[in-house]
Amino acid sequence: MIEIGRLCLKIAGKESGKKCVIVDVIDDSYVMVDGDVKRKRCNIKHLEPLEGTIKIEKNASHDMVVKEFKKLAIEIKESKPKEKKEKPKKIRGKKEKVEVKEEKPKRKALLTVGAKKEKKETKAKTTENKKEKPDKPKEEKKVKKKIVKENKS
Amino acid sequence: MPKRSYRSRSIRKIYIKTPGGKTVIHYERKKPKKAHCGSCGAILKGVPRERPYKLRKLAKTQRRPERPYGGVLCSKCARLLFIREARK
Repeated sequence: MIEIGRLCLKIAGKESGKKCVIVDVIDDSYVMVDGDVKRKRCNIKHLEPLEGTIKIEKNASHDMVVKEFKKLAIEIKESKPKEKKEKPKKIRGKKEKVEVKEEKPKRKALLTVGAKKEKKETKAKTTENKKEKPDKPKEEKKVKKKIVKENKS
Repeated sequence: MPKRSYRSRSIRKIYIKTPGGKTVIHYERKKPKKAHCGSCGAILKGVPRERPYKLRKLAKTQRRPERPYGGVLCSKCARLLFIREARK
């Protein structure tokens, strides 16, 4: 009853209730099985032999078994592995450069030697300008004060 | 005195030790009876005995055996059923 090409029904396991064919007889208790189930070793106790047989060679390929099954009108569901999507690779330590806004120069940077000189020059310029400008109003003020004093007296 | 609704025999107490060292009583509904085979009445293996809200947290493969009629029939009865179908 157990021979190469014998159609069988699986009784145990998650593929129970599905049809398969014996591809190879390994020893007294184990056979190689293929068809509507995953191609693997199987215990004879987990198989229920059916009436039909298929003409196939020993260790026939899965494609051959599928062809023979199609002739008998037994559908085989084949699950294809999912196509892998390429993910953007993350490199450790190398972060993408982010555009940084132009920052104002910090106070520390201004206090460097070169910056100090510039600061002094700019200060001197501003003080000279200031000295020239307020001369006129001071005189006016003095005049005004004199006028006020004269009026009081 | 606990809450009036907790003073029922259909609710079980669970003593839990908190991280602070106290023992606190938690109240839970009792577990349902074990799952049995639909044809022979034997206790099913591989079916956890928990309330539905705890079963929901489990993966589907952990809730029942992964074979046709898994979680309904025992393995012996399922095997006989397949053999009977094959010999028709």
